[in-house]
Amino acid sequence: MNYLDLSIKEINKLLKENKIKPIDLVNEAFKKIEDNKDLNCFITLNKEGAIKKALELENKEVDNILFGIPIAIKDNIVTKDLLTTCGSKMLSNFNPIYNAHVVDLINEKNMIIIGKCNMDEFAMGSSNRTSFYGNVLNPCDKTLIPGGSSGGSAACVSAGLVPLSLGSDTGGSIRQPSSFCGVVGLKPTYGRISRFGLVAFSSSLDQIGPIARNVYENALLLNILCSKDERDLTNVETEKEDFTSLIGKDVKGLKVAIPKFYVSDLIDKEILDNFYKVVSILKQEGVEVEEVDMKYLDNAVCLYQVIALGEASTNLARFDGIKYGYSYDDAKNIEELYKKTRSEGFGAEVKRRMMIGSYLLSGPNAKIYYNKALKIRKCMSLEFSKVFEDYDLIIGPTTTSFPCKLDKLIDDANKSFMDDILTIPVNMAGLPGLSLPIYKGKNNLPIGMQIIGNRFDEKRVYQLASFIEKKINLRGENNE
Amino acid sequence: MNKEYTPTIGIEVHVEVLSNTKIFSHSINGYSDSVNTNVNIIDLGYPGVLPRVNKEVVHKALKAALALNCSINKKMHFDRKCYYYPDLPKGYQITQNETPIGFNGRLKIDDDRYIDIEEMHIEEDTCKSIHVNGKTLLNYNRSGVPLIEIVSKPVIKSSDEAVKYLESLRELLLYLEVSDCKIEEGSMRADVNVSVSKTEVLGTKCEVKNIGSISNVKTAIEEEIHRQINILEQGGKIVPETRRFDSKTNTTVSMRKKEVGNDYRYIPDADIPYVILDDSYIESVKKSLVMLPNERRKIYKENEISDVNIDKLINNKPLSDFLDKFIDKNINLKIASNILLGDISSYLNKTGQKITNTYLENKFIDIVNSLNEGKMSSKNFKEIINDCLEKEDTLENILKENNISLVSNEDDLLIIINKVLEENKNSVNDYKNGKDNAFKYLMGMVMKETKGSANPVVVNNLLKDLLSKDVN
Repeated sequence: MNYLDLSIKEINKLLKENKIKPIDLVNEAFKKIEDNKDLNCFITLNKEGAIKKALELENKEVDNILFGIPIAIKDNIVTKDLLTTCGSKMLSNFNPIYNAHVVDLINEKNMIIIGKCNMDEFAMGSSNRTSFYGNVLNPCDKTLIPGGSSGGSAACVSAGLVPLSLGSDTGGSIRQPSSFCGVVGLKPTYGRISRFGLVAFSSSLDQIGPIARNVYENALLLNILCSKDERDLTNVETEKEDFTSLIGKDVKGLKVAIPKFYVSDLIDKEILDNFYKVVSILKQEGVEVEEVDMKYLDNAVCLYQVIALGEASTNLARFDGIKYGYSYDDAKNIEELYKKTRSEGFGAEVKRRMMIGSYLLSGPNAKIYYNKALKIRKCMSLEFSKVFEDYDLIIGPTTTSFPCKLDKLIDDANKSFMDDILTIPVNMAGLPGLSLPIYKGKNNLPIGMQIIGNRFDEKRVYQLASFIEKKINLRGENNE
Repeated sequence: MNKEYTPTIGIEVHVEVLSNTKIFSHSINGYSDSVNTNVNIIDLGYPGVLPRVNKEVVHKALKAALALNCSINKKMHFDRKCYYYPDLPKGYQITQNETPIGFNGRLKIDDDRYIDIEEMHIEEDTCKSIHVNGKTLLNYNRSGVPLIEIVSKPVIKSSDEAVKYLESLRELLLYLEVSDCKIEEGSMRADVNVSVSKTEVLGTKCEVKNIGSISNVKTAIEEEIHRQINILEQGGKIVPETRRFDSKTNTTVSMRKKEVGNDYRYIPDADIPYVILDDSYIESVKKSLVMLPNERRKIYKENEISDVNIDKLINNKPLSDFLDKFIDKNINLKIASNILLGDISSYLNKTGQKITNTYLENKFIDIVNSLNEGKMSSKNFKEIINDCLEKEDTLENILKENNISLVSNEDDLLIIINKVLEENKNSVNDYKNGKDNAFKYLMGMVMKETKGSANPVVVNNLLKDLLSKDVN
């Protein structure tokens, strides 16, 4: 019996009725991971820890819906006594003495951490090919990239190895691989989830988020990830809410905007056609859908390069071989220790991004580039706010194209950023954005659609997403 | 020839802020505790950790900024200052570059002399590196210790003025209880920028870093002025550089040449949202400020306390704080300061007590008034000082218990005074001839005759009376 193919609700029922035990789920997960080893979804497996936890849970009451459910964690989220490598040689030996806030929350709910997901090194990349631990295969077509940087997190859910995972999203790193792998991934509002224990890439853009097989289960995971953490000053205290509460509710009368930028000729025609199929369904169901002009969106990639790489160059300065992580052994002086440790510990993409970031903050450049970028970022945010004065949600495709072949050369560093033009604006404005699989395209590849909400309006995002999911007969379920 | 050169000096002072915990973490702020015991993952810059802002530090920094008459940045943020050094765990220091908490202030160092303050900001200290046998050891107790940096404008004109500035600043921060300002222990450190010029245009400056005492600041500045003038006189050019003071040779030594502006790649720290200091908060902090040294000096002077005693009081904040409670109580502050610095200080030093832990306060007014009115002699006070400080009882009862009462009965005293006048005719004559000292002598003889039990005020009046009659 494949219990992990059942819905979380069904698993929960079986656990409650004592028909299965958490250890059954754990064993099944590890068997599936073993059977799908070629996908390379995991950097570190928590076999011993997961089994121990599962056995402990046998004496406990099944007190919440996520009790005993296996979960995979992106490897830039710090886990106590479980290697946290960030996909890098630099942290290949980093065994933390502390938990990220979200990991504490997951443990509190007695979920079972199965392992740490492969990812682009320090979350820098959108193909999962910059990982020091090898690339991840796309479960939908093993010759293709899974997307990134949360490639392992999206692929392991897509392949059914675990029902839930955590990713992180700085410019699309949850939504893009979710789209490529055909799963539901949410980047919550900036400040919604504590970043304590998320190894920082770009502090003003990073956000942890849930990846799941369907909208309802995604919302279930978000429900337990939001709890005020004094350790993160950017974490916003919000009232406790049930993110599933609007799932299944009628969408008639909702007002939805499509920015013209999101349906331009930069987008693959097949993706657009399928997106418009959804749009016409929505219109039939009484959703008001209109195209809108939005300024500044075309600056998103430039902004991302300046802000994310500028911040990254400072965030990654702490990896110097002195306190933890990789350290070059034979250094004769401190200068050599820095140079050798960082040259050998970081991969090419990370080094390239840090060099660009350092350059952008250097001397007068900070004023020319960084300060200017912050101003335009503000303008872009205001532009979104204006749309939300008239509309409940914004929709568009998640990606401009289908995933490329694994062996396709990365010949143009700039091009890889261009793939993220539809996801980056959401991070810039700090909004919640969800990628939902819609129809299948050529070669049966998944196509993702993005639903963007106003700040802290994740509920509404889930409402529309679950409606579409049900309408086009995906494996959705209702909150009943 | 050298007199034609005018030196210009600017000083940057780093001060460790007294606080329970570090500025961005919950570690104890205790640099001097056992090495590497006050350390957590935040102080070590572990991956994924985030800073929290210690409100106590912001509060104290605001106090200092207000006391330095600074304008306040009501919406301030923190910035990352990036450079690589082993004592900097994150590869950047969290500081305030764009929005220092205070700016455009000034500090009074003399009656008519103020030193302008460019800005004052909050930042974290680095960890301490100790070099032993070719190895570098790191003590992270200091990592994240809160600092405020106070930057003067380049307006200081001499080494003496620099010393005055530092002493005034130290005094001020001690009074505000912002820092213990122990220069020798490193909780107050000064960097000085020195240039010399013959014209209105400032010369090229050199920075002398981390000078460990105020007297060394004086020597370092003088040496640096001397060195620069020598170079210029020999037709040389001053190279902008960072130097350090060598206290063994009393000279400044070059550490490194200055690049054209250091490239610290400042960037706002996105982990810390804006800190908002609203008007009502600023106002409440302003109101809570204690009376500052300059203000106290003025009042003491007006009450005819001697300059020596004023300095002693200012240097002994607990006594000064004690005295301040009685400033508007209409007592003789001169007598009050005399006994505080005299018998009371001796008692406190001897017993190791704090003045606030004694029973002095409730009877202090009575003590000062009794001394003033002659109801008690200073000799009497010496006798009962232990009781006064150790017993809650009133002064009146203590005097009774000790059988101390001064003879104030005029008839009794007249007999004694007449006897003294009879026996000291020479002195009486001296007094008549205008020698005022003779009066004091006669006073003393009367007190001696009564073994100190006479009320000196009554004796004084009677004596004056009798002698003036005699003159006529």
